[in-house]
Amino acid sequence: MNTRSLKFQLIGWYAGLLFGLFGLLGVSTYWALRTSLAGSLKENQLRRARQIGQLLREEVQRQDEGGVGREVQARYAPDLNDRFIRIARWDGGLVYLSPSPKSQSFDPTALPPPRWSEAQWSEEVEAAREVPLLGGRRMLLAGHAVKMPGENLYLVEVGAPMDEVQADLRHWLVFLLAMLPIVAAIALGGGYVLVKRALAPVDRISCSAERISSHNLSERLPVPHTGDELERLSVALNHMIERLDAAFQHSRRFVADASHELRTPLTIVRGELESFVTNAQLKAEWRERLGSALEEVDRLASIVEGLFAISRLDAGEAASEWVPFDLAQLAASTADQMGLLAEDKKIQVTCTGSTGMWVEGDRARLKQVVVNLLDNAIKYTPEGGTVSLKVEAENGQAILEVADNGPGIPPEALPRVFERFFRVDKARSREQGGAGLGLSIVKSICAAHHGRVEVSSEPGRGSRFRVELPRVRPSASHDPGKNEP
Amino acid sequence: MAVTHMRLLLVEDEKKVADFVARGLREERFVVDVAYDGAVGWEMASRRQYDVIILDLMLPGIHGTELLRRLHQQGSTAAVLVLTARDSINDKVETFEAGADDYLTKPFAFAELLMRVRALLRRPPTNRAHVLRVADLEVDRLTQQVRRTGKRIELTLKEFALLEYLVAHAGEVLSRTMIVEHVWDKSFENLTNIVDVYVRHVRAKVDDPFPTKLIHTVRGAGYSVSEDKEP
Repeated sequence: MNTRSLKFQLIGWYAGLLFGLFGLLGVSTYWALRTSLAGSLKENQLRRARQIGQLLREEVQRQDEGGVGREVQARYAPDLNDRFIRIARWDGGLVYLSPSPKSQSFDPTALPPPRWSEAQWSEEVEAAREVPLLGGRRMLLAGHAVKMPGENLYLVEVGAPMDEVQADLRHWLVFLLAMLPIVAAIALGGGYVLVKRALAPVDRISCSAERISSHNLSERLPVPHTGDELERLSVALNHMIERLDAAFQHSRRFVADASHELRTPLTIVRGELESFVTNAQLKAEWRERLGSALEEVDRLASIVEGLFAISRLDAGEAASEWVPFDLAQLAASTADQMGLLAEDKKIQVTCTGSTGMWVEGDRARLKQVVVNLLDNAIKYTPEGGTVSLKVEAENGQAILEVADNGPGIPPEALPRVFERFFRVDKARSREQGGAGLGLSIVKSICAAHHGRVEVSSEPGRGSRFRVELPRVRPSASHDPGKNEP
Repeated sequence: MAVTHMRLLLVEDEKKVADFVARGLREERFVVDVAYDGAVGWEMASRRQYDVIILDLMLPGIHGTELLRRLHQQGSTAAVLVLTARDSINDKVETFEAGADDYLTKPFAFAELLMRVRALLRRPPTNRAHVLRVADLEVDRLTQQVRRTGKRIELTLKEFALLEYLVAHAGEVLSRTMIVEHVWDKSFENLTNIVDVYVRHVRAKVDDPFPTKLIHTVRGAGYSVSEDKEP
């Protein structure tokens, strides 16, 4: 999964937020529970300390300080109830200390000494603190200061282990932890479903936008009539495509108009020059020069012709015919017709592939594809090289491949070879007299036939042009013998 | 060239195009009338019987297609060769439906215009004979055999087609485009170097072994076959 996708991020945020809320809830309930449990425990202990304080006051007034220990032991039996009771005097004397509890859950003598600071010199001060016991257990110690006449100060401390509180809190924590995976599942699952639902139209929009290229700019994106931001997005995108379409059409029309307008002056220049090159009254040298000018007129004418053809193809103008025919047969016969061009450079052209590779379209145009690709391969392959032409089926497509073992195309030039007027080796190509439109025409013809052309090359080892066209069923009415245009 | 007294009407608003076409046709001994707009062209065409009307489509006055329709309605027997800068398929179909006999896209080679005019006159300039002769070269169309000074020369099918085309139009200059379209087809129109390669091969067999050269290169125009040194 793409971690930078909006989907991933939204799910992450959603789940994170839900998790955070759950955590916050967990922590706050934990604290509330703890405060409430510890609070009630503290309240109990303080009440007891107060009662003992009252007892102490009575006993001291009766001048029987030691009697309070017996009284406490008798009334509260701290060793049986797992309680800690300590009565201390300000001058350091210990009035009473409860014996070790039966359960041996703590040692009364090991507990920290009384904390007088809590008692202060005031009349009746109450304070509670928590002290650690062995094994991570804690004890809540509630202190009650008793001030007697004669500056005598006593501190009554009552303690109870917090085991129950701790157990309750532990239970709550276990419950929270047990809920964690469930909350996680709900957060992630719910987030996924929500985000998917919300983003499904975005996926559809990007899929449709992906399909639209310069060749089908007349198509538009589907607009969901939901009244939401996505509807606005698709409408906005459609407006943008419309403007792009207009710009493309404008440039195509310009090229078509320009090449159209150039024809008449070209006709005149050619006509005037032609009458001279065949005029025997002129000196041979003059005829030669005029002939050279005429050659350039021809080149200009072929550029104009090429540009016009490309703009028409790109504008999707109807082909002159649309018939099913065998691509393999067309390729083989074209290769045969061009054999001498290759032979002249001692290049071996091999033609392989099975027949019956039916495609549909304009035969003359598709033949031009084969001609241009073969011409290109022969032109750029050094003497003694090989050019192979292959026609085969692949995934319901008819594939035509022209490969050579020439010098190849440098990687930086590769993406540009189908551009108009692009030449890999400018000096050499001009010498060969090409207009630099052959491959652009190939690309436009392929696109007009709902196919495409690709190039791959290994510098020093050769280039490979691959044309993909949709395969069709051969029509029974069509005579295969008439394939050759 | 013994083509005489054929009357042609040229309707073309581009004066310079009209001028060189008319001049070239007159040199070929045609009688040529020129109209620079559609209305004048229509007037001339309805007043007089022409053998061939060469018609530009984009005309001021009356549009070329409209003129074609009127000629058709009038029952004109003139063959019509349409000249146009447009060559989209729809235009072509429309033009033929309106009654044109042939179609030529600008910029054209004059030689091609001439050849089409002759074809329309049902007077093919080519020799219908089975055996064509130029000097000591013989091209037998039936047996597809070529001889020079009586000696047999072996040519491939394409080489023969090329030589036959040149010899049949002996004395004329044929452009590479015309040769490509005749010997191969229109898909090869940008591949004019194939013509040069084939001409070289044909020359190697037909001309090189003999002192008199028959195949001539006319720079910028194309090739011609003739007995004279200069075409």
